[in-house]
This record gives sequence, structure tokens and C-alpha cells, in this order.
Amino acid sequence: MSRRVGIVGAAVTPFKAKWYEKTYYELAQMATAGALKDAGMSVKDCDAVFYAIYNDIFERTCIPEHPLQGILGMQDKFGMRVSTGGATGAYTLSAAHAYLAAGRFKTAIVCGVEKATDCFDFMSMSATPEVIKVIGWSGDSFFEQKIGWTAADSYAEVVLAYMDEHPDDLKPEITAQISALLSQHVKTNPFAQRQHDQVTPEEVMNSRIVVYPFKELEICVYTEGAAVLILAEEETALAISKNTGTPVVWITGVGEANEHSFAGKNHKVMPRIMSDHLAAYRAYEMAGIKDPLEAIDIVELHDAFVHQLEITMAEMGFCPLGRGDSLIEDGIITPGGKILCNPCGGLIYSGHAVGASNIMSAWSGRNELIARGLRRALVHGTGSTIAQYGAVEILEHD
Amino acid sequence: MSPETRKMIIPLEALPEVGGHIQTIDGQDYLVLNDAMFTFYQRSQGEFSAFFLALRDKKKLLGCKCTKCGIVRVPPFLTRCPDCDFAPTETVEMGDVGRMLCTPPITYFANSLFQGQVPFGRGRLVLDGADTALSINIYTTKGILVPGIVKKDTEMKVVFRDERNGEITDIFCVPASELTPEQVAKPGLLESELDWEAAVEPALGAPTADDEAKFNAGLAELSALAEEMKGAERARRDIAGWHRVVQVKSAGGFLVLEIDDGDLRVRQGSTDKPDFTLVCTDISTLVNGMAYRGSLTQAIITKDLWISLNREFTTIFKLERMARSLARTKKV
Ligand SMILES: [Zn+2]
Repeated sequence: MSRRVGIVGAAVTPFKAKWYEKTYYELAQMATAGALKDAGMSVKDCDAVFYAIYNDIFERTCIPEHPLQGILGMQDKFGMRVSTGGATGAYTLSAAHAYLAAGRFKTAIVCGVEKATDCFDFMSMSATPEVIKVIGWSGDSFFEQKIGWTAADSYAEVVLAYMDEHPDDLKPEITAQISALLSQHVKTNPFAQRQHDQVTPEEVMNSRIVVYPFKELEICVYTEGAAVLILAEEETALAISKNTGTPVVWITGVGEANEHSFAGKNHKVMPRIMSDHLAAYRAYEMAGIKDPLEAIDIVELHDAFVHQLEITMAEMGFCPLGRGDSLIEDGIITPGGKILCNPCGGLIYSGHAVGASNIMSAWSGRNELIARGLRRALVHGTGSTIAQYGAVEILEHD
Repeated sequence: MSPETRKMIIPLEALPEVGGHIQTIDGQDYLVLNDAMFTFYQRSQGEFSAFFLALRDKKKLLGCKCTKCGIVRVPPFLTRCPDCDFAPTETVEMGDVGRMLCTPPITYFANSLFQGQVPFGRGRLVLDGADTALSINIYTTKGILVPGIVKKDTEMKVVFRDERNGEITDIFCVPASELTPEQVAKPGLLESELDWEAAVEPALGAPTADDEAKFNAGLAELSALAEEMKGAERARRDIAGWHRVVQVKSAGGFLVLEIDDGDLRVRQGSTDKPDFTLVCTDISTLVNGMAYRGSLTQAIITKDLWISLNREFTTIFKLERMARSLARTKKV
């Protein structure tokens, strides 16, 4: 019988387009100190640390976590890094959960950090093309990198394949409305990169196409920052909660799936994001959830692209496949709807500090459950080429 | 060979100089250093050697067929079939015509290595007789690639570059409908055998009084916008370090846009040495984009705006970012 595991502390640094003032060493330390303070704990009480860092090239070093071990005060203890593309944060949380549930440790730090925009393109004298290039090194190195593979064009492949099957879904007016809605949500997230960047659906519609069919205001922005959770097994978690007065938010379901990276018969089914579907339903099974639309109150979804948000919501059972637009048209995620989707503003408005992103989502999900007195939140991460990786956690507040 | 004639893995213009700068935030100085993380390879192509050598030397595409289940994978990315407990596969020779597995995306804003190539498509082509899809670049011979030209199930012909290095970039594909039946049937069709439509500057008719009125209004708005730029710090950053002289031609008249390290200047007339030319019948196509009422990229896609050099999409993106920053400054 595995042990219950819960979140007892959480913190994030501000997510900023560029942190000139801090390296990733200090960003990681800032968020860790904040999360430990939230949990009323000393780092001396922590048994293990799990690092969520996506890309060595962003940090400009291989095994980028090694200096953090001592900087976080975790020398001579367990430390392990997870790197699974965009899903890095969600996967790291799932790894930490497994170690604690198995009884290996009583407490763990889950530390996500990314310094994504230090890289710079000296030809266009701007950072973004170089950021996209760095992520481009994640594509298949024999068959795809040299022909211009990017995260955006590989997700666009999936979205367009979905639109081939469902030509009446993902209407531009609806994706624009979802982006505008998220820009309203972000207003209450003081740590977000674009807290004050509210946009109208018309502005989204008029924004330029970056990679067809994605427009600029429908894409997550790359960010620098850190996010940390403190996890504890049941007995320890309850003791910490008694001390802080903050309820434990339990991790009651965990699921993951990685699809094939090549497409075609018996391989990746392009119009689907099976990784998200399988990950979500595995997490539902573990959490005993039959009807996600009824059981879940908050979804903190990795919105790399608005179109993908719609497909992922359908894959996770919040609307039918082919009816992603019902999220708006039937009011599922509009104010007062059944699902509060990305109250933090999502990665489109909070920013995508890759390794830290899903952990920031979990920070938001946990805080919103407590603040609003709601029952369940879902945290989601997606990553790799053609949405290959998916990881989902169910958070529960009793 | 001298550095000037050698074809370099890293383009020389991409390389930063040794140096750095100071960024001051809240009165505190922070050091920012120019840097690079570089590694060179003599990279083994291993089991893929036959595939890449066939591209380079024989202008042929190879696949692999599972000896047990018969599935044909192109590219031949494995030698044993994991679906059949790692039964061996055998090499098969493929044709070079196929159909798109799904509608391919088109990249307009590329990473730093591909900025000279936008817009380009990359999609998945299922060659006739194959079960899996080959990731491949997509072009049209008829001008700028826009949505709708290549869709799911569009028949495509693989074309070989004249100069081949044994890399995936040795091939790309174009719609079979743009070729003659002989070209579609010809094995190993070369890039130089295609009839690429030359970029021809669109002709503008004689101006009407209405065109001229529109032009004058547009010129006035652009001039006002250039004036606003002087105090718009964020928008100035979007065109910082950038220098371009752009000739703009519209039915109602010509103007010159000058981008100069944060400054934007507009004047009526022509210049004899522009970096590139933009042509639109109605000047408001340009003005709307610059005022963030529309998208310049979108106007190029819909052919309302013609650009003489595709690589100057970089400048278009800078102008669009600038337009958004300027609009935001005004909103706040
Ligand atoms: Zn087989």
C-alpha cells in the first residue's frame, strides 16, 4: 500500500522576459526559500530534491542542477533531475510523488527553474529566434532539425491534422476569445510576465501569424523564473499542516504517456494528442474519477498554443473531440462555467519558464483550491515533438 | 580554401564579437557577456548511411519493410520492428511521389538559422507504398507559400537539390499539380529542372483622385506614428540596432520608410538604393499594419502586400512588434 503524498508548501519567483539581475542559481534559491517558508520548514528537514530543468543549452551547461545541490543546502542528500521537454515540470512532480509514495523519503523539494532567454541571435539582434533555435535542437537530429523543425511547427502539425478531421472546430473567433479570457485571468497573478497585458479578441485576431495557423497572441511566451513545491508523505504532511495552519493539498492521481515520435500507420496518430488522453485517464483511474467534468473544478493546463489547449481539454474529457469550441460556446470555461481553466493566466500570459512552468501551474492549482475552497484541480504538462509527451496530476483538497 | 570560399557550418554573420554590455536596472549595474556554446562533430550516420548515400549519389529514397508484419517505414529509422518483437527489416526502394498525411504548417517567423528561408512548409509525406510519413520541406514554384496550396492528401513530388551532401536537406517536395506529367514521372527530378516563377514586382495602374487622397491620409498617419515613436521607449527597443531603408509603392504615391536604430522616419518619394521594396495598391494595407489594426504578415499572405525579398520578413516582424508596442503604450 503506497503512502498518501501532499503539497505542504509552494512558491514562485516573478516570471520575467529576462532576469538580468539573477542567474538560475539564485532564482532556484529564491523559490526554494519561499516554498520552505510557506511550509514553515527548514531545508534541514528535507530528504530529497527533484530538479525540473528542461534544456542544458538554455542554462549554458550540462547537468545544470549540480551547483544547485549545495546552493539549496541539500548537499549529501538525494538529488535527481528530470528533463522531458515541455512536460518536464509535471513529470518531475510525478517522479517525486513516486519516491515519497514508495516510502523512500518523508519530504522532498520539487524545484523547477529555467533561464530561457539568455540566448541571443546576433543577426536579428533579438533573443526570440535564438530561443526557438535552442528548442529546435530538441527535434530529431537525423531527419528533422535541418529542415527547420520547431516546437511551434510540430504542434501546428497536430493542430492542422485535427482540423483536417474537424474542419468546423477551433474557429479563429473562439481561439481569440480563449486567449482574451486568459488575459483576464492573469490580472490576479502578480508573478506573471504579462499581468497587465489584457487583450481583446479583435487584437488576437489581428495579431500576426507566426507559424500557420498560430497567431502571436495565441502562443506561450518564453520566460525566466523558478517554481518550487514542498511535498511530504501523509503523516509528515499532516504535522506540517497543523503547524502552518494551511491545509494539505493531496496528489491523488498521477498519469503519464509518451507517444511515438514518427507518424503514420501504427505510429503517432496525428489528429490526436493521445499522450494527454492516456495521461489524464490514468490519473483519473488512480484518483477514482469517473466524470472529469463533474469531479474537477480547476484545470491548470499547459497551453503552449490556444488550439492545443482546446484539443487537450477534449482529450482529457471536458468536451467531445471535434467540439473544442464548446469550451466557450457552451460556457464550460467562461466565467461561472464548470471549469476554472488556467486561473494563473496559463503559460500564454504567465510565461513559459519551461522546467518551472508546470510546477508554477501546480503552485497556482494548489493555492486556488485553498483560496476558493474548491475540491479538485488537474495539473497538466505537454512536451516534445508533435505533443508526444503528456503528464497529469490530480490535486485534492479535503 | 580561404574562409571566403569555404561553406561554413555556422554562418560568419551569426558569430558574436568578444565583448558585452552593462544593463542598468533600478540604479544597479548588471554585466551581460557575449558568449557561445559550441561543439563540432564528425557525426556518424550509422545505420542511416545507406539512406543518406542513396539521396546523395543515386537520387533515390529508401525505406525499410518488416519481414514479419510487412509495414514499410520511410525514412528507415530502425532496423528491427519493435511491433514484431524486433523482427529484422529489409531495405526497399521507394518511388518519389506520395500524398500529405495531413495539412502542413507554414513557418513565417523562423528560428535564427532559417530566417533567410521563410516562409517555408514542413509536413509529412507518405510515399506511395509506405505506411509511415517522411518529414519534408514543402515549397511552391508559384510564389510565396500560403495556406491552402498544400493540404491533407495533396499529391506531392520529391525533388532533389542539385548540390547534395547526404543530408535530409538534399530533398524537398512540391505539389505534383505544378509539374508536367513527364516531370512527375521522372525519377530523381532536380531542383534546376523546375520552373520557378520569378518574383515580379506588381504593376500599379495610373492613380485616381481617390488613390491620391488615400495616399495623403496614409502618409499623414505614418508621419504622426513616426513622431509618436520618439517617446515610445518599448516600441523603440523593437527596432533597436536595426537599419533598413524601405521603398513603399502604392497606387496613390510612393514613400520611403527608414528604420534607424529605434528611430522611424517617413518621407514621400523614392530612393535609389532601398534595402527592399513593398508594394500595395492601397496604402492603408501598410498603414493598418503599422497602426496595429491589421497584420502585415497576413497582408503578405493574402497578397495585398508584396515584398521584394522574403528574407526581409525579419524586418516585417520587427515592424509588427513595434506596432503592437506602440499601440500598447497608447492603451496604458
Ligand atoms: Zn513488424
